[in-house]
Amino acid sequence: MGWIVVGLLVASAALAHERKEGLPEGPIRERHELMERVGKQAKIIGDALKTGKLEPVGPAAAKIAEEASKALPLFPEGSTHPRSRAKPEIWQQWPEFEKLMGQLQADAKATVAAAQGGGDVRAAANKMFGNCKSCHDRFRLPEKE
Amino acid sequence: MVARTWLLLQAAVVVAALGVRESNAMERGDAERGRTLFALAGGCGCHTAKDGPVGAGGGEVPTPFGKFYGTNITPDVETGIGTWSDEEIIAAIRDGVARGKGVESPAMPYYWYSGMTDADVRDLVAYLRTLPAVRKENRPHEGELPFARLAYRLWRTLFAPRFDRVRERPTDPIARGRYWVDHVSLCADCHTPRNFVGAIRFDLYLAGSLQGPGGDKVPNITPHETGIASWDEDDLVQLLRTGFTPEFDNVQGWMAEVVEGKGGGPGYRDAPEEELRAIARYLRTVKPIAHKIESERE
Repeated sequence: MGWIVVGLLVASAALAHERKEGLPEGPIRERHELMERVGKQAKIIGDALKTGKLEPVGPAAAKIAEEASKALPLFPEGSTHPRSRAKPEIWQQWPEFEKLMGQLQADAKATVAAAQGGGDVRAAANKMFGNCKSCHDRFRLPEKE
Repeated sequence: MVARTWLLLQAAVVVAALGVRESNAMERGDAERGRTLFALAGGCGCHTAKDGPVGAGGGEVPTPFGKFYGTNITPDVETGIGTWSDEEIIAAIRDGVARGKGVESPAMPYYWYSGMTDADVRDLVAYLRTLPAVRKENRPHEGELPFARLAYRLWRTLFAPRFDRVRERPTDPIARGRYWVDHVSLCADCHTPRNFVGAIRFDLYLAGSLQGPGGDKVPNITPHETGIASWDEDDLVQLLRTGFTPEFDNVQGWMAEVVEGKGGGPGYRDAPEEELRAIARYLRTVKPIAHKIESERE
């Protein structure tokens, strides 16, 4: 009886692990982690804009620009997965996707420049975030549908 | 004596006429205020197809009990609600009774709207009457049960929650936020899971659901660490205003539709900031519930 209980516990732990770690190793997981890192930097910028203490904006935007420069190779053609939110349209409309990712990098650099040069940091950051939204709306699936 | 009686009679007629005018004005509602309510109601998106026109019906509502399509609520006299009286429209919104058809399906959340104040529901109706009339037949529901109206009546009797009608819109910000969340913006409808018969799980009030409207994953919005414990009031207002989370990820699916409105109509983002702030403030005060909503995609 005890072994059955242990077996069930192991099986449920394995299932939980599978659910949590559902993305396969390789580019699909790596790009997910990259986007999470971008999200963390975006939150730093958002918090700075809220408080008006803008010092962290430049370094955070620089990290976003760096991450954006590494993103495209993590989308090899056909790298879909049931747990991935990447739409097939990414590869069907690759030049558009490539352009938006390039725009994110450019917008992030413009935010760095605004932060360093006393420009309109809020406007620059909002443009960058608007770029994230455009790309998500076109090329990302909802979490579930 | 006769002259005095005649004068009194005339005065009574004038007073009565003024009274009637005033009561009509009270009953009619204000379309401008109604537009704000429409925005706070997320643009009543079920009644608008993805590309509009606003209110002309056709929004898809897939449920475990069949796929429903929002009805035409524009003032078109043949296919919309152009010939309905205010009272009939209000009965459809708050009591779940559609003119000439009977009890509506639970896909129409009339039970939540039942708490809406008389003044607000009249303002909302006044706004609906300003929408451009669109001739568009209602699309029949798919996979509806046989004797559906009877089943809906039974569901209403057995499972529909009952709320006291709010007499006046609360002025206290938290109470006002609760009023929006429960009776107008209906955060509580989508973010509270249901059981196998579609009854609302009040033990998980606002704690999220994997089977929200449209099959969307709906996050826990209670101030628990599995919900929005790390969000402050400004974060919530930002989400309602722009659709951006604190990480500047943007919401998609149904939440994006209620924030942005559908078919060019207003959504949460068009509501006054003080009302969005009241929603945010209330959400920060609800009971925190541990309920992790695992995403099916990352």
